[in-house]
Amino acid sequence: MNLFRSEEHARRWALFNPQSEEGFISLPDLAGFFATESRHHMLEPDYLSAWFPRRGAERRAYLERIGKATPFWMGTPAPS
Amino acid sequence: MADPRLMDRAFHLLMRSIVQSGNALHYAELGRALGVTVEDGRQLLHAVLEAYPIGWLHPETDYIASFPPLNNLPTQHRVTVGGQQKWFAQCGFEATSVTWLFPGMMIKVEAPCLDCGDPMVIEMRDGQFVTVNPPGIVGHLNYGFGPSRGRPPFL
Repeated sequence: MNLFRSEEHARRWALFNPQSEEGFISLPDLAGFFATESRHHMLEPDYLSAWFPRRGAERRAYLERIGKATPFWMGTPAPS
Repeated sequence: MADPRLMDRAFHLLMRSIVQSGNALHYAELGRALGVTVEDGRQLLHAVLEAYPIGWLHPETDYIASFPPLNNLPTQHRVTVGGQQKWFAQCGFEATSVTWLFPGMMIKVEAPCLDCGDPMVIEMRDGQFVTVNPPGIVGHLNYGFGPSRGRPPFL
């Protein structure tokens, strides 16, 4: 999960996974993805029990809103 | 499973410590802060990271490597707050959420591009971008999320 100067730079990265073409995300979308409600409460005393469990559903809802509701982004199955 | 209230307190202490100093408490310090034994502090640390699996210990140790959005182990994502560079973000994605740990403050993230090594800089305050240089910075997920994404330390 890295930042690059541009998509072209990412594709030139020595460790670029050719199967990750759908892995690009704009910086504004990325900031939104990591700004869901639970993220605003990371410093609260009950974050672990009250807020962190909400994170997964928030992330899925956000990915659906930005058109990334794919297995790649939503969670890939374990290798068989 | 440890007492959920104790786990909340432990998580809070760990997060506060890495936010305040750039380093998360060691389990012995965590145990002392919570009034439990050193060994109970160690077990509590493991329990917290089981409940918060987006963070992890350095393999084969009881040392916190990653406590996102920040990292105990240096990464290429250097974070400066209030003119002090003493934090690292877990990854480029988590770098954009460090802003929520420092309300009202300007957060600067500097990282070299993994392709060319040239610098990238983003500055944020309360979730809003103030600076993005170069303007074309993008995020990239090299492996899909989920169990098959690969080994966490090599995100």
